[in-house]
Amino acid sequence: MNPGMPQKLALPGIKQVIAVASGKGGVGKSTVAANLAMALHMSGKTVGLMDADIYGPSVPIMFGLGKVDQNATPFPIEKFGIRLMSMGFLIGPEQAMIWRGPKVAQAVQSFLGQIDWGTLDYLIIDLPPGTGDAQLTLSQSAPLTGAVIVTTPGEVSLIDARKGVKMFREVRVPIMGIVENMSYFTDAAGNKTPIFGVGGGMKLALESNAPFLGELPIDPRVAQCGDNGEPIVRKYPDSDIAKSYMALAATVDAAASSSQAGGLPQVEL
Amino acid sequence: MAGELQPLNLKRVGDGLQIQWSDGVTTTTSWRHLRANCPCAGCIETRAKPPDPFRVLTPQEVAAGPPQPVAMQPIGHYAYKITWNDGHDTGIYPVERLRQLGEENK
Repeated sequence: MNPGMPQKLALPGIKQVIAVASGKGGVGKSTVAANLAMALHMSGKTVGLMDADIYGPSVPIMFGLGKVDQNATPFPIEKFGIRLMSMGFLIGPEQAMIWRGPKVAQAVQSFLGQIDWGTLDYLIIDLPPGTGDAQLTLSQSAPLTGAVIVTTPGEVSLIDARKGVKMFREVRVPIMGIVENMSYFTDAAGNKTPIFGVGGGMKLALESNAPFLGELPIDPRVAQCGDNGEPIVRKYPDSDIAKSYMALAATVDAAASSSQAGGLPQVEL
Repeated sequence: MAGELQPLNLKRVGDGLQIQWSDGVTTTTSWRHLRANCPCAGCIETRAKPPDPFRVLTPQEVAAGPPQPVAMQPIGHYAYKITWNDGHDTGIYPVERLRQLGEENK
């Protein structure tokens, strides 16, 4: 048996596995994944969040956590009611993971299959940018319900987000929808100003024949909350952006419940 | 996903793989043809080279005899991996490729 080959994992205790992806870096995948997970939990679901970005893990800082003593800490780590796993719990932020692809694939596999996630309604997976080892390992090993694609409104982001959509189509992972992040800034007077372009998310949704899941506004408190370790949905639940995330969670929940992503049939040898 | 070609049933029939497809078509492909068209990078590279008339079969290949699957498992939503009796197991056959090979009727 080739040790580098994907192991198909059953994950029987987990009802839905949703990847948050893009293709493009810096569009807010980790922020969307963290707040989507938080919003699903706040709507009554049991949720796990797996950080598949081995090179640049963001989940720990977004939840006010860091490197832990692996010998003394059972994984996943629970914070704000969400079960978490990240490379950021195993290495300090000052350490660079200078790894070739097969080791990244192994790490993603082990986070999926060797962590006792228990029973979950949702496992949200925060993917790194690109269409490489982490994405392929997930598509081959995990029983993915679907992928949520994050983009910012401009064409520079769309170019790579399209590649992400194409990749998931190639491996037959359902695209649950497109989320447009950083859509506009609302000033104190209530005027909306688009900072990063207009309409890219809807354009990608139409091109891809995928649902448009909505816009997320720019709110300086999002970054503050990310840096300070409490997702904005939890910290400021009455904010417009928190309401947008709760709506996103409801839409994702409805889409997941009606998803027809079944596994391929077994072969009778 | 709606409208996408899906394999509904896959089974060993005689010396090959029979697949019933969602569009009503049934294909049968010999294991020999599947093995000869392994899509892994190593096999693709080997097939691109001129055949070596002096290649000596490995003891494993001699012992295995004609190609037969030892296991065939789904990979994600999109492919199957075949483990062969000669020990080779790095080929991942996307569903579309299985249909293409099936239509070659070999």
